Formats: sequence, C-alpha cells, structure tokens
Amino acid sequence: MMRIERITNGIVLDHIKAGVGIEILKLFPTELLRTKIDYASYVDSPSMHVKDIIKIENVDVNPATLLKLALLSPSITISIIRNGHVQSKMTPEIPPLVEGVLTCTNPKCITLLESYLSSRFHVSWNADGRIRKQCAYCEHIIR
Amino acid sequence: MGSFSGRHIIDTADLATEEILHLVEIANQLQDMGRDKARHVAAGKVLATLFWEPSTRTRLSFESAMFRLGGHVLGFSEAASTSVAKGETLADTIQTVALYSDIIAMRHPLEGSAFAASTYSRIPVINGGDGAHLHPTQTLGDTYTLLKEKGRLEGLRIGFLGDLLFGRTVHTFARLLARFGAEMQFFAPEGLNIPEYVRDSLESAGANFKEREWRLESIEDLDVLYVTRLQKERFFSEEEYLRRKNSYIINKEALSKAKPDILILHPLPRNEEISVDVDPLPNAGYFRQAEYGLQMRMALIAACLGVVA
Ligand SMILES: [Zn+2]
Repeated sequence: MMRIERITNGIVLDHIKAGVGIEILKLFPTELLRTKIDYASYVDSPSMHVKDIIKIENVDVNPATLLKLALLSPSITISIIRNGHVQSKMTPEIPPLVEGVLTCTNPKCITLLESYLSSRFHVSWNADGRIRKQCAYCEHIIR
Repeated sequence: MGSFSGRHIIDTADLATEEILHLVEIANQLQDMGRDKARHVAAGKVLATLFWEPSTRTRLSFESAMFRLGGHVLGFSEAASTSVAKGETLADTIQTVALYSDIIAMRHPLEGSAFAASTYSRIPVINGGDGAHLHPTQTLGDTYTLLKEKGRLEGLRIGFLGDLLFGRTVHTFARLLARFGAEMQFFAPEGLNIPEYVRDSLESAGANFKEREWRLESIEDLDVLYVTRLQKERFFSEEEYLRRKNSYIINKEALSKAKPDILILHPLPRNEEISVDVDPLPNAGYFRQAEYGLQMRMALIAACLGVVA
C-alpha cells in the first residue's frame, strides 16, 4: 500500500468506490490539479473491502462538484482540511432528481442534439445498493 | 383521476389504469355519437402535426381523427422542408407552433424528444413516436382493439411474433398489458428477443410472460397473435434471414392449427409476415386495429383539448 501523506490545506476524498478515483479526479479542472495530489487505489478498507483515497492540496469544492462526486461514488466522504485540521467532513445527499449535472450517453437522446436542454436524471437505488441514474428524457440508464 | 384537459400524452406509464379505461370510454362515446354529432366536438380547434421524421400512416391517422372531430390541421411531414432544416431548435419550433394551434401531435427520430417538447409547450403534446423509445397512441389503440374484439385483457393469452428487439410497439404494449393481467408469450428469431430493460421491467411488474421458440404448434393455445415487421437488415445475416423467414410467415394454413377465434394483429405496414390469404378471414384484425387506432386518437385529442368530459 502506498503511503498517503498528510496535507495542511485542501481536501481529502475518502471511501471512494475502488477504481473510480480516476473518474473523480477528472471532475476537477486541470489547472486546479497543478498541485500536490496523493492518489491511492484499491487500498484495504474494513468497511468497503477495498477503496480509493485522494488528497488534493489547496483546492476547494463547490456544491455542484460535491453532487458530481457523490453521483460517481455514493459512499464518498469529503473532508476539508484547514491548517492541518479537519474543518468539516461530509457525505453529500443525492436528490431523487438531478438536473444539469450528468450527461446522457445514449447517442439517440434528444439532449445531445438540442444541447440547450438541461439534463435531468432520476436517481434511485438498485436492490443490491448500487446507484441507478436514468435519463428523464430517453429513459437510458447511464453507468 | 386527473382531468385530461391540457395534459401531455408522452408515455402510457404516466397514465393510471382507470385513466386508460376512461379514454376507452371516451372513444366509445365518440363512436356512439355518430359521425354528424362528432363533427362538432372539436369545431374551430387546430391540431398541429409536426413530423420531423416521415410516418405517413401515423400522421394520416392523427389528421383523420381531427377532421372527424370537426377541427383543422396544419403541420409538416418531414424536417427537410421546414425551418428545422435551417437549424431551428425543437424548443423554438414548439413555442411558435403553440401560438398557431391548440394541440400538437409530433414524431421525432430522437428519444425523449416528445418529453423535451412538452417542457416548452403551453398546449398539449401527444407523442406520435420518439425514435425507438415510445409510441403511446399505438399502444392505446392496440389496447382499445383488444377490449373491443375480445372484451377483456385479463387472462388473455397473447403471442408476440417477429422482431421484438427493435419493435417498440411491443415494448410499451407489453408493459401496459402486464398491468391488466394478460398472459404474454414472446417468439423472436435469435438475437431479436425483447431487450433486457423490457424483460427487467416486466419481471419487476410481476408480469406473466414466457420467451419461447416459435413452432407451428405454438399458435394452438393463443387468443391473440400480434405480428411485427421482420426486416431483413435486422437479421444476423442474409442466410439467417432466408432460412428463418418462412417459418415466421402467418398464412391460412398456419391458422388451421389455431383456436377458431384467434385474433391476428399487426401495427402495419406489413412486409411478408402475414400472407394476403389471411386478409378475408374474420381473424384478420389488423385493418380493424388501424380503425380502432384512429378512434383512440380521436378520444385522445378530444380529451386533451378538454372538449369532452
Ligand atoms: Zn437520455
């Protein structure tokens, strides 16, 4: 296991579904990522068996990004670190209808051609606890 | 039960079971009224038929329905000849047309287009088909057909034959029939079975259905056989098509094994799936089905315009 260093100011994204960390990083603009980043994948976890952890120095997260993070990995916890201390820790709530955040992957979906349409997804949970994101327009289920 | 006045018809899943039965009631009322009285029901109202993708049959059915209600019709039958070809957005087309008309019937090649249109429309939008996604007026017309021809849906044993993967009419119809307790059997060539998401939704709805291989004797215990178009290009290969084609053709001889009152349906237009020698038989329900489809469209237009109770 890779050693994860402490950070003084920034964010710690923990309990990320194993292997999804790379998708999580893509949610941040590249210019924000020109900083110290620790990224560990498939780390042993007592509660999740394996997980990813990411620490990013000198960045903040806005509410829209918080929701995107949670939609990619609902188990995620986000800690804001200030002066070496955890200032706050949160698990974002996912509303049943998510607007304008996700993009439909069905190439025949009207939202792809008529790009002014705000995307809408119905969010629910499968019997096995996995998140289910269904386009309100075409009913396609995205990964 | 909500009133239909001002409502959009995008997906039959949005309609409560008693609302569907109410539409059937309205369709019956409009027929009982007789042609002359029905011609006053929507007098002075305007239906816009917006067809971004050509579908002569569906468009003519909507237009005839409006004419029989005494209303007027305007619209376009393909995108190439319209402002859409000049790059107008769906939202702008809908908002403009809503000023010229009282109700819209639309068909569009992209999935979710009718729902998108409804979010920009102050007048009712009826989905006449959005890509391979939904086709609620066909489904409601087919439901009306079964009720008129068989008097019930519950316990009816319905076979679906043909391309069940791309045949969207089957998908929405099957989900609706599941609600009414019909028994369904799906017969498709290899690789053209009902898609996973339809199977899932039927299973989670507790539907009574089986997927079977089609044999000559499969027809024996069916009350209804719903045949869909088999298109050569959907087959795995040309050889596969030629090899299987004949076994999926319903002709007079194939019907000799069936119940005497079996009802044969088809959303039309047909290719070779149903032989013309079936046409004169009372079992051939597909032209009556087109007529019931028209009557259901009359009911939908009248109900959404709020001109019938
Ligand atoms: Zn979509």
